[in-house]
Amino acid sequence: MESRAKKRCRDPSPSRGHQGGLWDWSCPETRRRMEELYFREQDYIRAGSEDSCQFWTFFERLQRFQSLKAEREQAVLSPSAQADPSATPGLAGLPQEYDPRYRINLSVLSGDMEELVRGKRGDRRRGSGVPAERLSQFRAALLHYLDFTQKQSFAKLVKLQRERVALPITQYRDRLLRAVAQNQVVVVAGDTGCGKSTQVPQYLLAAGYSHVACTQPRRIACISLAKRVGFESLHQYGDEVGYQIRFESTRSPATKIVFLTEGLLLRQVQREPALPGYQVLIADEVHERHLHSDFLLGVLRRLLPARPDLKLVLMSATINIRLFAGYFGGAPVVQVPGRLFPITIIYQPIPQEEAAANRKPERLDPRPYLRVLQAIDHKYPPEERGDLLIFLSGVAEIGSVLEAAQTYATHTQRWVVLPLHSTLSIAEQDKVFDMPPPGVRKCIVSTNIAETSVTIDGVRFVLDSGKVKELSYDPQAKLQRLQEFWISRASAEQRKGRAGRTGPGVCYRLYAESDYDAFAPYPVPEIQRVALDALVLQMKSMGLGDPRTFPFLEPPPQASLETAVRYLREQGALDGAEGLTPIGNLLAQLPVDVVIGKILVLGSLFRLAGPVLTLAAALSVQSPFLRPMRPDPDCATARRPLESPHGDPLTLLNTFNEWVQVKSERAGGSRKWCRRRGMEEHRLYEAANLRRQFQELLRDHGLLETTAARPRDSYARQSRHRERRELHQLRRRHEETEGRKRKVLKLQEGEAGSTSDEEGAGGDRSRGIDIQDVKFKLRHNVDELQAAAGTALSSNQLTLLKLVLCRGLYPQLAVPDHYNSCRKDSDQIFHTKNKQGIVLHPTCVFAASPELLQVTEKGAAEGRRQDSQEGLSSRHQLLAFVSLLETNKPYLVNCLRVPALQALLLFSRALDTNADCTRLVADSWLELGVPDSEAALRLLASAIQLRAAWEGLLNQQLEGRCGESQRALDPREVATLRQGLLEFLEHEVQYTLHRLTALEKQNLYVGPQTVAAALGLPGLFQGAEMMPDEEKGGYRVTDFLTYNCLAGDADLYSDCLRSFWTCPHCALYMPFTPLERMSHENSCRPQTQEAPPEEVAGSPAKPSALQRPYRCDVCQQDFMFTSTEILRHRKKHP
Amino acid sequence: MESHKEAQLKGVFECHLCGLTAPYSYYGQKPPNTRSVVLLEESYVMKDPFTPDKDKFLILGSQCSLCNRRVCVGTECSLFYCKRFCLPCINENLQAFPLEIRQDLDKKKSHSKSHPSKNADART
Ligand SMILES: [Zn+2]
Ligand SMILES: [Zn+2]
Repeated sequence: MESRAKKRCRDPSPSRGHQGGLWDWSCPETRRRMEELYFREQDYIRAGSEDSCQFWTFFERLQRFQSLKAEREQAVLSPSAQADPSATPGLAGLPQEYDPRYRINLSVLSGDMEELVRGKRGDRRRGSGVPAERLSQFRAALLHYLDFTQKQSFAKLVKLQRERVALPITQYRDRLLRAVAQNQVVVVAGDTGCGKSTQVPQYLLAAGYSHVACTQPRRIACISLAKRVGFESLHQYGDEVGYQIRFESTRSPATKIVFLTEGLLLRQVQREPALPGYQVLIADEVHERHLHSDFLLGVLRRLLPARPDLKLVLMSATINIRLFAGYFGGAPVVQVPGRLFPITIIYQPIPQEEAAANRKPERLDPRPYLRVLQAIDHKYPPEERGDLLIFLSGVAEIGSVLEAAQTYATHTQRWVVLPLHSTLSIAEQDKVFDMPPPGVRKCIVSTNIAETSVTIDGVRFVLDSGKVKELSYDPQAKLQRLQEFWISRASAEQRKGRAGRTGPGVCYRLYAESDYDAFAPYPVPEIQRVALDALVLQMKSMGLGDPRTFPFLEPPPQASLETAVRYLREQGALDGAEGLTPIGNLLAQLPVDVVIGKILVLGSLFRLAGPVLTLAAALSVQSPFLRPMRPDPDCATARRPLESPHGDPLTLLNTFNEWVQVKSERAGGSRKWCRRRGMEEHRLYEAANLRRQFQELLRDHGLLETTAARPRDSYARQSRHRERRELHQLRRRHEETEGRKRKVLKLQEGEAGSTSDEEGAGGDRSRGIDIQDVKFKLRHNVDELQAAAGTALSSNQLTLLKLVLCRGLYPQLAVPDHYNSCRKDSDQIFHTKNKQGIVLHPTCVFAASPELLQVTEKGAAEGRRQDSQEGLSSRHQLLAFVSLLETNKPYLVNCLRVPALQALLLFSRALDTNADCTRLVADSWLELGVPDSEAALRLLASAIQLRAAWEGLLNQQLEGRCGESQRALDPREVATLRQGLLEFLEHEVQYTLHRLTALEKQNLYVGPQTVAAALGLPGLFQGAEMMPDEEKGGYRVTDFLTYNCLAGDADLYSDCLRSFWTCPHCALYMPFTPLERMSHENSCRPQTQEAPPEEVAGSPAKPSALQRPYRCDVCQQDFMFTSTEILRHRKKHP
Repeated sequence: MESHKEAQLKGVFECHLCGLTAPYSYYGQKPPNTRSVVLLEESYVMKDPFTPDKDKFLILGSQCSLCNRRVCVGTECSLFYCKRFCLPCINENLQAFPLEIRQDLDKKKSHSKSHPSKNADART
């Protein structure tokens, strides 16, 4: 005691808080002092933590309570009733003087206690200087607090278990396990809230099954279910519950149950057809009928006989259960009732006259929706909580209801109106989970995303428009259409059910009961309304035979399958016998669109892997550019430097690269950078993940040389190591404090402008950690990415990159309308081969700068223009596009401009010419007029060569990777091709570009003829036979080129059009027809330098492939001549 | 790795009275990683599943000091007063406990009588 007193005198720091003997618990200095003693780094509660804040709140409450109690007890000083402890020995020694302290079953060793215990006086300043009675007061409070937190958590545990037991499925547990034990396939049918998704996996685990896979249609569900199941089982299984989605996996050897997407399980079947790693498969939500889900069921049905030990559990809402049970040979069904509160349905069809009076039918009339808001305000007092969920068909519709509802909300102050659709940023989507202030309701205006994907608690009212917009696929036009449909009865019920999750609800339907009865019973399964290219490709690579005869759950339309097969053949993924080609085999393993896959493969040939990986990844995710309801000029200005004049894919490339730069330069700055540009950063993260996956895939397939790990010096290695360790720590700390707390919404929340909310996604900002950034840096080699992003493309590389893109995208080409130069910027229209009058998507760079597509001659072409044909130019351009989307109008999405003539010569599947090749028709829809016949021939000839060389190298590359001997490509050949392509693109030739009319198409070809005129001609190419084309007429020169088959002026000229010409190689000078000239040039082309000399030396001995029989009519002799030799010979006979 | 796993899961605790079951990872008076806290009875402890903080623990229950049956810490099953007592044992020895505890129990009894169906209700 003595030493303590002394200490107090010497210690200068005792807080100002209790100077003058007045002890003030609320003084920060006092609290800091106590925290130093009790909340040290090694203590149960740490200073400054959330826990310590909660403690002080508790402390204040406890003090108030105790002072009240003290007053009361002073008043009624009752003698403590004496108990009788004598009875049982175990009860001896119980204190008879009651003290609440005896009720607490734990104790705390604090700083000062330890000091006293150990008798240590080392650090003087740590001596408390706090009066003993205060210390014990604090200690008592601390114990009470700990006891309180224990009780709190224990109550949660009891509640959790009660809730689990209360789930409808619980009563079916034994029945289910029995069914699974006795059958290979079991169907569990149960509606929302029955608990099947969370409980069935746990039942199976508890029953001793392991190696369980549970498929989900959505990635997000995989994560949340794994978390939920881990939590409900109180982490009993630890890391035995995991999930696996495209880029993330928490799977480990200990994993007993994994939640994964249907697509991912299909990929696993592709690798290991018998799925040896699993004992039980649970396919959840099969009633949603996603493409992958339907296909997976088909694949599993085939697999089951080969794996009699494998169990399959199908889980479905109570929709069309017979279909599933029947498909698996009458599998038993365990039917579980759902748990919904009663819901009142109010049919409120929009009156005919009101619908007719809507002057702008393309804009949704918000009045019927406002009436429901008013009705709710009228009928239900604001204290009765309950939010409203409105289902609309699309984003535009959401916009008009949102606007009207917000005006109403500002007026009444009783609503917070929030939009919900998939193109919103994550942060905005997250707002729908926040709480409205008291007396205010949330009104969530949503697409059908809230029907199944997003579940919002607290919804009491549902307002259903009865409409949905769905992509429907037109196999003929190979076009995706976003069309509005009436929903199905099943969807209507699903929407209604959202009102009855937490209590009785009301569902307003803006259609009549008779409409409802007329709805289709179920939604159209995805397999019947989407493009099936990827599906067919995957089926081929799984060896499932002819997709037309595959026993699908419900077969897709035959036309869709045919289109898919034809498309894959066109794209070179299937051969004539519908077998997989080498490139097709590779494409089947890339989880992307065929077109994107092709671009990846093509790019690796020209060492463009870096930019091509980025492009392919960026084109495979949703555009990072958000479209605000109202245009924001600042944002547009900030985006401008990223825009590429070449087209949207390159804008995406710039954007990604710039983003990587920002990330590597200032940590965490990228989030702000994105926000300023109106971009959703999440999609760039996705692109980065996808890029990495592509990179690994290309590496695995030998299409990308493994970059030899650059030898780092030990210092760099160490610092990288240290950096990673710090990042890991950051992530761990984030995970520990994870769990976004629900915020309270402000009244004006949903209004424009709140998008730029500084909070960003989640509440991480306050803690200063950008967890996405941390994960990004852990997952990727940022240095490598930055190096790839930092090197600017040379103009040659850019040209080649565009060419690669165009080849991949072909035949997705559009031609500008002839009259575009006279149209307003926004009215520019385009045509594809099958579809006319398409407009640019508003996000497209050419929509803002249409002049980039105008045909303007460089330099003064004035003089020439006078005597030239109209429309003659060397700069016609086409748009290659990534997709065609039809909403209210057809849109071209992600466009790239390319030189028309060169692109068509290099990529057309069919190229038809007239006699002197001044007229060329590409794929029977675009006509090129090249007045300069010589130039036309020159280009055509080199196009033929380049195509052959390119195709050859590509095949070598793809086949080489299959064989054991990885035959590297000859770099000289690649360089020659590269050079050739670049020169080809630099040609400036004047030409016209014309889209054939229907009438012109009808009379395009001369048709089959019996003319023998060309028989005497020497072979046009080495080894290429000139065969009369039996359909078009003229002669087939290569598989894409048909010479002299165009009807019109052609055949009149064919023989008399000889003109004098000097061969640049052999200096031969004589009259040639265009064809003869082509023929000569091809055979005379110096193929010398590269060829090894011994081959040249050996050539005269045996007849080379170039030689063919030639009979000279003048000297009456037969020869074996090459084309050149023929010409030389003829020259001898003047 | 193995030892870590063993530390994670010791067994399953089951309350003799209410049937509550939960896995426990520690049995004793000194839960791991909580230097300054000691328990005043040998308890079944798990990591608190309701907080991400790995060092927070949750006491599930212990043995009744009289009858040695495993009981949970829920107030319907047991009570701590210097030692753990299950409710049946307290009821048999009511006189050994101070008035405050007896009053407490009376209060609880009348409370649970007024909501007798609470538990059964949740099961339907
Ligand atoms: Zn109990
Ligand atoms: Zn007992």
